Amino acid sequence: MYGGDEVSAIVVDLGSHTCKAGYAGEDAPKAVFPSVVGAVDGSEAMDVDADSAKNNSNSEDSKTNESDKEKGKRKLYVGSQALNYRRDHMEILSPIKDGIVSDWDLVDNIWEHAFRGCLMIDPKEHPMLLAEPPLNTQQQREKAAELMFEKYKVPALFMAKNPVLTSFATGRATSLVVDCGGGSTTISPVHEGYVLQKAVVSAPIGGEFLTDCLLKSLESKGIKIRPRYSFKRKEVRPGEFQVEDVGVPDTTESYKLFCQRMIVGDIKDSICRVPDTPYDDKSYANIPTTSYELPDGQTLEIGADRFKIPDVMFNPSIVQTIPGMEKYGDMIPTVRGLPHMVMESINKCDVDIRRELYSSILLAGGTSSMQQLKERLEKDLIEESPHSARVKVLASGNTTERRFSVWIGGSILASLGSFQQMWFSKSEYEEHGASYIQRKCP
Amino acid sequence: MGGTDAKDILGLPKTPLSLTQEKKSRPQKESHRKPDGISREVYALTGGVAPLMPSIDVTQLKRPPPPDEKVAWQWLPVKSSARKDDLQLYHWVRVVNDIPPSGDYSFAKYNKSVDVLKYTDDEYENHLTDPVWTKEETDQLFELCERFDLRFTVIADRFPLSRTLEELKDRYYSVTRALLRARAQSPAELANHPLIKEPYDMTRDRERKRALSMVLSQSRHQEKKDAEILAEAKRITEMRLAARRAAEPDVPANENIGSVSPSSNSQLPATAVAPSTLTMADYASTLASLRMLHVYLRTYGLEQMVQAASSAVGLRTIKRVEQTLQDLGVNLKPKVPTKTVCDEHLELRKEILTLLNLQKQLQYKESEGSSHREGTYGAMPDTPKDRVFASEPFGFGGTFLLSPSFQNFMYYFTISNLQGVCLSVFTAERPIKKEPKRKGPGRQSDTPSPAHKRPRKLKASDL
Repeated sequence: MYGGDEVSAIVVDLGSHTCKAGYAGEDAPKAVFPSVVGAVDGSEAMDVDADSAKNNSNSEDSKTNESDKEKGKRKLYVGSQALNYRRDHMEILSPIKDGIVSDWDLVDNIWEHAFRGCLMIDPKEHPMLLAEPPLNTQQQREKAAELMFEKYKVPALFMAKNPVLTSFATGRATSLVVDCGGGSTTISPVHEGYVLQKAVVSAPIGGEFLTDCLLKSLESKGIKIRPRYSFKRKEVRPGEFQVEDVGVPDTTESYKLFCQRMIVGDIKDSICRVPDTPYDDKSYANIPTTSYELPDGQTLEIGADRFKIPDVMFNPSIVQTIPGMEKYGDMIPTVRGLPHMVMESINKCDVDIRRELYSSILLAGGTSSMQQLKERLEKDLIEESPHSARVKVLASGNTTERRFSVWIGGSILASLGSFQQMWFSKSEYEEHGASYIQRKCP
Repeated sequence: MGGTDAKDILGLPKTPLSLTQEKKSRPQKESHRKPDGISREVYALTGGVAPLMPSIDVTQLKRPPPPDEKVAWQWLPVKSSARKDDLQLYHWVRVVNDIPPSGDYSFAKYNKSVDVLKYTDDEYENHLTDPVWTKEETDQLFELCERFDLRFTVIADRFPLSRTLEELKDRYYSVTRALLRARAQSPAELANHPLIKEPYDMTRDRERKRALSMVLSQSRHQEKKDAEILAEAKRITEMRLAARRAAEPDVPANENIGSVSPSSNSQLPATAVAPSTLTMADYASTLASLRMLHVYLRTYGLEQMVQAASSAVGLRTIKRVEQTLQDLGVNLKPKVPTKTVCDEHLELRKEILTLLNLQKQLQYKESEGSSHREGTYGAMPDTPKDRVFASEPFGFGGTFLLSPSFQNFMYYFTISNLQGVCLSVFTAERPIKKEPKRKGPGRQSDTPSPAHKRPRKLKASDL
C-alpha cells in the first residue's frame, strides 16, 4: 500500500443508534450492534435470572454474543442476540442522551462486549481510535481517555471527530458533512481536516424520531404493532396460520417499545420515500398505497404516511399534525428544515471557503439512505443558494458505505503511515494527564 | 502476430505475399519476438510492440527468488523519529537474512510543520506591544498558529476570545514583521522577505470579503427577479421606441422626453417609466424633471435613426460619412430639427453611404481588373472563387455564380472591357461586411491589411 502501514489499530464508533467496531484497514466494521443495554434490576428476579443466564450460556455455542455482568444488583445485557431474548423486568437503557454520553457504566459495558465478545481481542495490544461527536465537551473526552487508559490499558489512543472521518472516507480534506444519524442530524463544516466548531448546526430530528412519528401515526390509525415476543403462530391448516397472543405480564414498557421500534424501523427503511415537493395533505390524499406484511401476518396499507414522515426532516412543523406527537410541539419552532440548516451552517463560515463548501456537501448516516433524500436536498439547496455557487451533494451509492462512513474514515486514518506520529500514547497520558488530550487531538 | 493466429484458427489462406513478406520481415521479427516472462497472448494485448517506457521490468516478473536470500515477515516494533515519546507500535516488516531493516520510519519525513517565530518577553516589551492586544492573547494566538500550521480559518474558529479572522491575521503578520526587522542585522537582507515586500492590509482584505459575501448572498430568487425586471424594462423600451416611430408624423416638433436606459439594474421599477442615467450632462437636469411625461426630443429620435441606418457599416465608414458631410458644409446635426430637415438629413446620409460603397467597389474592381491584365492569375491561392474563374479565360463576358462559401450574396459580374470595369447592382445582405473577407486575386501582392489578415502559422519562430 502506498501510504498505509498496519499497526492493527481498532476503530470504535459509538453512535446513538448502533455501535460499530472493527479493525483498522478493513472496509466494514466486524461488530455492529444496537447501542443500548438491557438492564435487569431488582433483587427478586436476580436468582432466577442468574440460573437461567448460566444455563443459557452453557447451552449456546461458543460464538454467543451474550455477556452478562453482575454489578451489584443490576445485570446488563449487551448485543443484538442478548437483547432479542425477552427477559422479565428488563429495561432498555441508552447511554447517549442528546448526543453526549450520560452513563459511563453502560458505555463501559458496550465496549467490553465489543472487544471481548465480538472482536475477541485484548485491548492491551491494540491502539484505539474513537469517534466522537463534533460538539463533545472537554470533560467527556477526558473521561473517555481515562476509562480507556485505566481500565483497558490501551497502548495508544486517538479521538477523532465524526465529520472529519466522514470527510476522509470520501478523500476530501474540506467539505460540509450532513450527518443524518439515529439520534440527531448534525451539519458540520470541515476545513483542511479540522471541524469549524462555531459553525456546527444540530437538530434533534434523527432516524429514531422519524420511527417514533411513524409508530404514533400507525397507532392513531388503529393498527396495533405486536412485538415479536408477544404472539405465537400456529399452523392450523397447511399454509394458514393462526395468531395467538402470549401473555407476558412482566415485560417492561421500554422493552416493548424497543421491539416495536425495530419493526417500525424496518417499515420505514423499506417503504418511506422523501417527496419531491413539500408535503401537503391535499395533494397526497389519493396516493396509491403500498402494502407491508407485519411479522404477525397483518398486512398494512401505507399511503400518505410514506411521504409525510420523511418530509419531517425538511419541514419539522408537520410533526404537529401527527397525533400523539404533540409533546414535541414546543421544540419544533426552533428547528428548521434540512436545507435551511445547511445554509445557516455555511453562512457562519468564513466567506472565502463558502464556495468550496457548497460544492462538496457529503451525506452520511443511516437516515441518509432514505430514497430520494439526496435529490430533494440538492433541489432545495440550488433554489436557495446564490447563483455563483455550484451546489453539489455527494453521497456514496452503497447504503452500507453511508451508514458506516464514519467508521470507514477511521479505518483509513488509523492505517496510514503518517498517522502513526499522532497517537496519544500511554506514557504521554501518564506524564501530562488526561487534559493533554485537548492538545493532541484537536 | 494476432492476425495470423486468427487466420490459422479460421482456416483462411494466408496472403499470397506472405512468403516474400516473411523473408523481408524475418530480420524484423527477431526484435518482435515476445519477451520471456509473460505469455504470448498478454504480450499481444499491448499491440505486439513493447511500450515506449516499460513500466515493469519484464525479466523480473517470473524470476524465482535468489536462493541465498531468506525473506521472512516479522512483527516488529516501530521506531519513528517523528514521535518524541517511546511509544512502541508494532507492524509487519520484511526481514531479509535475519537482519531487520535499519533507518528511520519511512513516514517520519512527512512530519513537517510551519516555521513560526517565537519571541521572548524582552522582545515583546520592546517591539511588539499593541493597545488592542494583550500579551496573553498574543501568546495564545501564536500557540494556535503553531498548532494549526497557520490555517487561519481554523485558528479563528478555535480562538477563545472573539476576534475576526482579519484581526488575527493582521496581528500575526505585524508581529512577525516587527520581529524580523528587530532581529535582522541589516535592512538589506530583509528586502526580499515576502512579509516585508507585501505587507498584509487588513482593510483591503475586509473589503474584498464584503464584496465576495455580497456576491454569494444573492439567492437565486433575487437573481431571477433581477433578470425579470431587466427583461421587462427592455420590453418597455422597445415598445416605446416603436410607438414613437409610429407616432412621429403626428407629434409636433420639439417635445421633450425622458429617455429610458436600462443600464442601471436596481433602479428600475417594473411598472413605471424609469429615471434615466444619461450620458449627456446638459440634458440631465431638464429631463429629470420631465421624467414622468411621455415627451420626445426629435434630435434623440434622429440619433436613433442615424444609428439604425449606419449600424450595418463599420466605424471607419461612419467616420468617412461624417467627414464627407463636413466637406460639403453640412452640420453633423441639423441646427433646426424640423421634420423635413431631419428627413432630408437622413436621406443625405444614406446617399453618402451608398456613394462610399460604390467608390469602394470601384476600387476593388479596378485592382482586380489590373491583375487580370498582368496575368498573375495562375499563381493564385486556391480560393473557391478562383476555381470558378479558372474555367473562364479572359475576356469572357458572362455571369458567374460564386461557390457556396459566399452564400449570402450572388454576384453578377459583367466585364465589358478590361480597361473600365464597373459594377452593376449587387444584391447583398451585407455587402460592405463581406467585402473585406474576399480573398481577391489582387490581394496576394498587397500587404495584409487588418481587415483580411491571414493567420500567420509560424508564430513561434517569430519570437
